[in-house]
Amino acid sequence: MSDTIEKKNKVIVGFVCQRSIPIQDMIDEHKALLDDPEVKVVILPCSGMVKPTQMEMALTKGADATFVCGCAIGDCHYRTGNLMIRARLEGERNPKLRKTTDKRKVGMFFLTMKDKAPFLEALKGFKASVAALGGEN
Amino acid sequence: MYRKFLKTTKSLTVSFEKGLNALTTQEHNPLYFHGALPLYIFWFLIFSGIMLWMYYIPTLERAWSSVNYITSLPVLSQVDGKWVTDATNAATGIPYGAVVRGIHRWGAAGMMIATVLHMLRVYFTDRHRSWRWLPWISGVGLLAVLLFVGITGYLLVWDNRAYALVVLTQEFLKSLPLVGNWLADFFVAGGQITDYTLTRFFFFHIAGATLIFVLIWVHFIRLKYPAVTPSRATNFLTFGFILAAAGTYPAVNITQELLTKYGSDPRITQYKDYIASDAPAHIGNLVANIRYDAWYMFPYYLIDKLGANWAWAILGVSVALLLVAPFYPKEIRDNIAEVTEAKCTGCTFCSLDCPFEAIDMVERAPGSKFKLLAVVNEARCSQCGVCVGACPFLAIELPHTHSKTIEADLVALLNQGA
Repeated sequence: MSDTIEKKNKVIVGFVCQRSIPIQDMIDEHKALLDDPEVKVVILPCSGMVKPTQMEMALTKGADATFVCGCAIGDCHYRTGNLMIRARLEGERNPKLRKTTDKRKVGMFFLTMKDKAPFLEALKGFKASVAALGGEN
Repeated sequence: MYRKFLKTTKSLTVSFEKGLNALTTQEHNPLYFHGALPLYIFWFLIFSGIMLWMYYIPTLERAWSSVNYITSLPVLSQVDGKWVTDATNAATGIPYGAVVRGIHRWGAAGMMIATVLHMLRVYFTDRHRSWRWLPWISGVGLLAVLLFVGITGYLLVWDNRAYALVVLTQEFLKSLPLVGNWLADFFVAGGQITDYTLTRFFFFHIAGATLIFVLIWVHFIRLKYPAVTPSRATNFLTFGFILAAAGTYPAVNITQELLTKYGSDPRITQYKDYIASDAPAHIGNLVANIRYDAWYMFPYYLIDKLGANWAWAILGVSVALLLVAPFYPKEIRDNIAEVTEAKCTGCTFCSLDCPFEAIDMVERAPGSKFKLLAVVNEARCSQCGVCVGACPFLAIELPHTHSKTIEADLVALLNQGA
């Protein structure tokens, strides 16, 4: 695995639960969103499987931002996976994000399999908020 | 085909709930607390039941009148063309007794409705199979015991309907070969209906309610964080509904005499078609048409209309289908979490986060570097990977969704750029 990745364009990496938004129908063969090729996704069985270190890794290896997308709060297929990752990213549960991680570049969405449009809308807002940060570190 | 059916039911359920989310928001959608709702209502039944218990007398002579005493309507008299409360009679009842009984009655209906909704929701979203078999099977048990407790509650009133239900129950039990007669006698505490019969029903009612607590414990035993209470908004709304129903239609005893005497007064007649009990039971005097409660008395409807054998067949097949439901179709279980012993520090994060209590922390051998070791209970593992997300040491992994693979994919995605 290469530690230095040449940055080509803006890229956002999402960790998406396979049971939340209909992600399999929303991506191309390169795991990029059909509606927004700047967004690449890693698909997981549950959002609770995401390690905060993996999101930090995305940022340190060149992503402009990263997000996790899980089932609607209250409706996780595995009961509490979405609550776990939310608590981890909010610093309420171990393992947490490092204190040096810019949390403004770490997004969270919790949506159902019928929420394609709301997801794209929320993603647009997230991207805009990240873009507003500019070159700020 | 069956898998496709489950997929369709899930899609329809999520669509419906999404619509509700627009009204309630995700945080307060009552359908996201469908499991906690019956338990919440159960507390109302326990407290109102204890209050009714303080006045109920389980004997043939006194059962109906003690219930009537708790819930007696004020008898009305007409003075100068207006209906007024008869102060003498009004003083004989328990203050708000009819409302307390109403809470018990409407709460019972609410608990059954919430339980059935919970079951349907779990089934329609395909959350009843494989490693979840124990909550499902114990849930079937809970449904059966709830039905039993509800029915015995109707018997305690000891009105004409209760007597008819006892006769139908005996017919139902006696149709069983070998043990039928014994069961029928056991049900009424002897060969005939006596004061002990009411004592037996009272025991069934209280023991059944206690058994519900035991089964709820079994229901929750494999859940790390069971939902035991709905959101505060849902709690207030549910309480409001039950109280409004109990206040608007309190549970009362209506006799033919009362209806004849005050037949034109809407304050009396409003109850006759709802939840009122019948006149006191007279042994040997079977009423022609029983008013069946939709939520608790459907087995009696079957016995009455189709006969005991058909009722056994329909109920037996229904229960059998419910009991096999979690085992079909089979889940592919090739991605069970695995622990690398050398990497596990015994931090317990995985065990704390596992939603299904599938990870035990066991003592390591004396002299080991770390005190505890995570051990996966394979039968309980849901292959969700929440434990993987919790582990800072790469000590627990899903073999087909390994962290190293995820991280390699991540780097490959970033190398592609946009």
